[in-house]
Amino acid sequence: MYNDIIIDNFSDPAHVGDIDGPEYQYEIGNPVCGDRIRIQISATGGRVDSARFRAWGCATSVATANIFCASLERLVLARLGERSDSEIEAMLGELEPSQYHCVEILQQLHRRLVDLAGEDCREATT
Amino acid sequence: MSTQLHSLLKNSGLDPLKVALSSVPELFSMPDEKLLEFKTGLIHEAFSHHYANNPFFRSACDGKGVTPDSISTPADLVKIPLIPIELFKSNDSHKLLSISLRDVELEMRSTGTSGIPSVSRRCAKTIDNAVLGIYAMYREFLKISKGAGLYLCPSTEEIPEMGMIKALNMLAGLLDTHRFMVRQESFKPEEALAQLEEWNQKFNRHLIGPPFLINRFISYLKATDTRIKLDKNSYIITLGGWKRFSGQMLSRAEFNRECVEYLGVEESQIRDIYALVESNVVAIDDEHGVKHVSPFIHFSVRDPKQLDREVEPGETGQLAILDPLARSTPGFMLTEDLVRLLPEPSRSGRSGQRMQYVMRLPESKEFGCCAVNLDKRLEDLDAEQAASGSCPVVA
Repeated sequence: MYNDIIIDNFSDPAHVGDIDGPEYQYEIGNPVCGDRIRIQISATGGRVDSARFRAWGCATSVATANIFCASLERLVLARLGERSDSEIEAMLGELEPSQYHCVEILQQLHRRLVDLAGEDCREATT
Repeated sequence: MSTQLHSLLKNSGLDPLKVALSSVPELFSMPDEKLLEFKTGLIHEAFSHHYANNPFFRSACDGKGVTPDSISTPADLVKIPLIPIELFKSNDSHKLLSISLRDVELEMRSTGTSGIPSVSRRCAKTIDNAVLGIYAMYREFLKISKGAGLYLCPSTEEIPEMGMIKALNMLAGLLDTHRFMVRQESFKPEEALAQLEEWNQKFNRHLIGPPFLINRFISYLKATDTRIKLDKNSYIITLGGWKRFSGQMLSRAEFNRECVEYLGVEESQIRDIYALVESNVVAIDDEHGVKHVSPFIHFSVRDPKQLDREVEPGETGQLAILDPLARSTPGFMLTEDLVRLLPEPSRSGRSGQRMQYVMRLPESKEFGCCAVNLDKRLEDLDAEQAASGSCPVVA
């Protein structure tokens, strides 16, 4: 049911935790019965120092949050918007239909951060 | 005797738990003492499995000096360390697994007023056990094999991972036809009434859903002064909390009275089910409105102020469940529900445990299951519609 990427990231989530005074913080989720993910990011000069998450929901969504945080480490935020939908989808590996909603979650995590960090990204690239 | 029975079954190549799951009437016919001994054997086997395969659980057991050797008689069951139910909501719920995530077949969840989902993960063996156990209990108490089910809840297609809907949907396989009447978070009682009329004199018509939605349908019947007469073999089957999102408790006695008056059923046709997504137990009302606990699962009712002490039968306490069906996560859990075990003999002649749900722990951070959120959503939509359709105020 679960591919190795999901198993590794769910069973040993290296990026779970909190950041004091994060540069960016946001939460996504389904208000009725769905998954909830909170992301905190510290960054310096448009580059991510560290990213941490708290997630409540299915195993794939918890793994998704960890995969997303891992992908941000040392990333120049201005580069985040360059990831294509297919690149984002590939980050989770092959999924079953019941797990596919996590691709949408991962896209949402990207979109929200691009929006939040938009100003900084523009400054960093000019 | 119980040990001999376990040995005999194992030596014959049979799994005592699987035998128990297919022997519900026989278990309910055993003397209480013998049944408890038999359950203790099942729980000991499950405890040994989790102790051997779950480092988190084993560490908790070792911390209390409890090993499989410590659990040999019914009196030892109280020693088993309990998993607080909120751990199923925690970030690191992976530590609850006694198996690899690779072996998890199904995730189910329930979400109360906090919005944080409680996620339970089941492997193939646990699902086998749960399916056998739930269907055996449905057959024991409902004897349903035909008819039409009017489901006053969303379909599993809309919310496939919700435990309450999944458990109720299992009944649909025993029926000839069924319809889900909550679609896209919308419930139209007129359509439900029309569907019941369409099935009239063709099927035994059953109403199935969380109490507040059946209550909502009855409120519509009351408002329109409509009384219907369901069939003599119809059931009103409820599963889910009796507390609404607003905090208002639905009165079971009043609910029953209104079912009798507006749906034309006898009280014996109203059957409530107690279940938890984290466990594989179902406790179902018999014809006298008394809930019987699945006979292969043990309820231990604890003193909330001293959780290692059981209260006397008949006294209210905090429910601990010892569930030997659970193989993927330890089925030994401390719920946030206050219940009491009923000491008086069963009028239906069954042995085993009978329970009465009292309330959620007052200090519990939340209440309700996914139904409570649906309740709120439907109320919000009603309010929006009422606002948009209201007469304009003339200044």
